[in-house]
Amino acid sequence: MSTTPSALNSTPRPLSLIAELTHRCPLHCLYCSNPIEMRKAADELTTEDWERVFREAAALGVLQLSLTGGEPLVRKDLAQLIASGRKAGLYVNMITSAVGLTEERLAELVEAGLEHLQLSFQDIDEASANYIAGTKAHAIKLALAPVIRKFQLAFTVNLVVHRMNLDRLEQFIAMAEELGPDRLEIAHVQYYGWALKNRSLLMPTEKQVHRSLEIVAKAKERLRGTIQLESVFPDYYGSFPKACVGGWGRQMMLIDPVGNALPCHAAAVIPNLEFDNVRAHELGWIWRESSAFQRFRGDAWMPGTCLECPRKEIDFGGCRCQAFLLTGDAKAIDPVCRYSPSHGLLESLRTAGAQPLPIWRNESNREPPGSAGGYLPT
Amino acid sequence: MDMNSIPMVVRGCRLHPTQDVLLMPEGTLELNGSSRDVLARVDGNRDVTAIVQELVQEYEGALEAEIRTDVLALLQDLKQRGVLRERI
Repeated sequence: MSTTPSALNSTPRPLSLIAELTHRCPLHCLYCSNPIEMRKAADELTTEDWERVFREAAALGVLQLSLTGGEPLVRKDLAQLIASGRKAGLYVNMITSAVGLTEERLAELVEAGLEHLQLSFQDIDEASANYIAGTKAHAIKLALAPVIRKFQLAFTVNLVVHRMNLDRLEQFIAMAEELGPDRLEIAHVQYYGWALKNRSLLMPTEKQVHRSLEIVAKAKERLRGTIQLESVFPDYYGSFPKACVGGWGRQMMLIDPVGNALPCHAAAVIPNLEFDNVRAHELGWIWRESSAFQRFRGDAWMPGTCLECPRKEIDFGGCRCQAFLLTGDAKAIDPVCRYSPSHGLLESLRTAGAQPLPIWRNESNREPPGSAGGYLPT
Repeated sequence: MDMNSIPMVVRGCRLHPTQDVLLMPEGTLELNGSSRDVLARVDGNRDVTAIVQELVQEYEGALEAEIRTDVLALLQDLKQRGVLRERI
């Protein structure tokens, strides 16, 4: 087999560090992308650990720091962590549910150097939104939007869309516009973590997907110059895979709450990957040497079809976690790709079956915690 | 965007203190040397005329008309990308 030398096989510098500060979260979203096995609070990295990680990340060339979780607000040292990120020279983003956020706390975080806050919404009406989030969060989020707008801070509203809310997408966008964000993200659910458990519940119909693409395109045009609209395509409906995390070990590092360094959110699902920990190793060493980062970096791992495909420079072979979750083989062609022998599997999943019941992210796995009691969205 | 416009970066957008990149929510925009020099003067106070005049001083021997064209094209492009707006 002929292989052409490719820029794919150099080790680029990482641009982005995702700091999963905690897995603790007041929400229990049906589409949660966090791992099924969550890390306990007692095992979380200390303030000093994170501060060192941020300095090492900046030295390695990282520009963007995203503080996420779980809910980052549950960390009492959040302001200190933000200040440390800024001091290290990083641009500081925070992804939050806003549950527990007050004007005083936000003032403290902005003062510390927070530059961008992303808040996601689950639906347009309270009962349905709370049902999807598994907790009473919708009213809290709505009430906080005008508070967020008081600060010199970029504000992104993120709408997570799937079968249960896609029929209301136009109203959903209108609701988001009212909140006055700088950016609006419309993200189709990706099927990892808990979302995969609920895939048959969340998977949109073909009709919904096509309609949503038209609505998003129109909104993008209409909002040009006022709100920057970004959208995440539902890749189960695609013909070519996404360039997942900009390519394995190419742009992004994720540090989980206990300090394990992962090439992406979902990488822990892949068997026999060993993650090195920031408590034991310097971040630059992990980026260059950690076996998990090297595993699918470049094109040496690729099946022949990908190796010879010019699109490998665009999509880097797609998503390894998705390949594993759908085929059982992490080295398989991403089934989203039309050249995958398993592409037919995705086509069969696009056909909506009977409406299954949700699986909740709590002990009982049955009732949404604090739900409006038996409410089922149509 | 014209010579009287007063450009400013949008909320949440800033020039990296040492590297040639513009930082923004979840993203970065790489800048070549001269676009950094332009952006370093975009502060919500200077108008395009003032920015061009400063660059004419800075780049000895360059034609003012060329600088003006380049600056307007760059600012227009960044406005399209949503990272700049004009102060009203």
